[in-house]
Amino acid sequence: MIDWLDFLLVLVSALVGACVVVSAYALGIRLLTLSGRTPLVTPAEFTDAITIVTPAEIKAAAKRAAKAAKKSPLTEGQKRLALVGAWGCFALSAIAVLVGIYLILGEHLTRLVGGA
Amino acid sequence: MKVFTDHRGSVHYRKAPVDLTLIVVLVIALALFFDFTNGFHDTANAMATPIATGALRPKAAVTLAAILNLVGAFLSTEVAKTISGGIIREGDGGVLITPELVFAGLIGAVVWNMITWLLGLPSSSSHALFGGLIGAAIVGAGLGAIDFPVVVSKVILPALLAPLTAGLVAYAATKLAYAITRRYDGKPDGRDGFRYAQVFSSSLVALAHGTNDAQKTMGVITLTLVAANLQAPGSDVQWWVIVTCAIAIALGTYMGGWRIIKTLGTGLTDVKPAQGFAAETATAATILASSHVGFALSTTQVASGSVIGSGLGRRGSKVRWRTAGRIGVGWLLTLPAAGAVGALAALVAHLGVGGVIIDAVVGVIVIIGIFMWSRRSEVSHHNVVSEVADSGRAVKIKRNPKPKRKAKK
Repeated sequence: MIDWLDFLLVLVSALVGACVVVSAYALGIRLLTLSGRTPLVTPAEFTDAITIVTPAEIKAAAKRAAKAAKKSPLTEGQKRLALVGAWGCFALSAIAVLVGIYLILGEHLTRLVGGA
Repeated sequence: MKVFTDHRGSVHYRKAPVDLTLIVVLVIALALFFDFTNGFHDTANAMATPIATGALRPKAAVTLAAILNLVGAFLSTEVAKTISGGIIREGDGGVLITPELVFAGLIGAVVWNMITWLLGLPSSSSHALFGGLIGAAIVGAGLGAIDFPVVVSKVILPALLAPLTAGLVAYAATKLAYAITRRYDGKPDGRDGFRYAQVFSSSLVALAHGTNDAQKTMGVITLTLVAANLQAPGSDVQWWVIVTCAIAIALGTYMGGWRIIKTLGTGLTDVKPAQGFAAETATAATILASSHVGFALSTTQVASGSVIGSGLGRRGSKVRWRTAGRIGVGWLLTLPAAGAVGALAALVAHLGVGGVIIDAVVGVIVIIGIFMWSRRSEVSHHNVVSEVADSGRAVKIKRNPKPKRKAKK
């Protein structure tokens, strides 16, 4: 007997879970950029990345980010709020990932603690 | 020959202890080698997209995957306990699992894994194992030995639906990631920040892999020990089995996988950080949700579905359908191909100890031959970066496609 409801459950829960994690992190990045702190990855960190980023490109990107931050229509207070919101979103994303880890290991860890 | 009665009261004939010990040792050695090849194959599942986007360096990614697989293998034994349940009918009207049968099934799985590894074709190690065991069981006891409704509901349907699910989830997640971070005013969007997130999402996939795939070998070894009357039925997996399986899968993960990373990471689609993060998260979410309802999934198939789905979710990206088709064919062939090799090995193993030794020798010759052939165009962490980077440059990609909606002035 095939339980089609299980397949639907997998689809819906994976869709909701992944979308929550990705949306929260993406919103964090959006808010971080709004706060004037655009994330830039320097070539020193990822020297052998497949998406090649040259030092000149990074310099140009940093210049663009600084210019955008200077021209931001937000007040300093709004920028601080955006920064807090960004870290809140990153935290939400991390919590969702931790819930995922708990789903894998929770039962086993509970049994281990119970057995100790 | 010795006559003995099992816990169900059935009478069986068993070979002399020396023969039995030899066969059990051969099965354990082959099972550990299967675990090793599983690591070879599945490094790519977790680490292809972070390597492709540059979130992790290849050597660091493979090392991290190996460590997390090692840790994951110690965290659960549930899959190990259920590996033999359902697919092959045991007891009355079915087949009695013997070490020779397990050995023949393993030969089928290992040989198929090695062939697909050589071709750089992702196939499912789990399905190779199921296929090998099914093929051996059919030869050993006929079609009646297989519980086909269980095979359909637990193996075939999840194999077809899980990559579709992962692809759909990855597509939606990629669309969301791009929609939320898109800037219509041409200012920096900060999408490079997704590279940091990828380190964590890919680690989660690697850990999930360790908690699942190492268990399959533990299950096979435990099954063999029970079949050889060296362990009581229903008892826990022995500690040395857990340790050796964990080390074998971690070593396999560390020492292999470059070839498949190349296929998955760049052969299918050119992966950007936001897309890579969405794909990894979709893979992890699908595996977790499936484990929760008890589906035995192939992590390779789920990862491939996610990579394709995330590629389709990106504007201006191009999925290479010919490569995708090759992968699909690999999936479809896994079960029957491993089954055919397993069946052939079971036919030879029926000859007794001599047959098992012939199986072992032929298996070793095939494996060494394929390995030596593959060395002619070796791909390793020394040259994988430049090769992948070159292939990335060879493809024309719209780096920053203009948004359709104009910014308000």
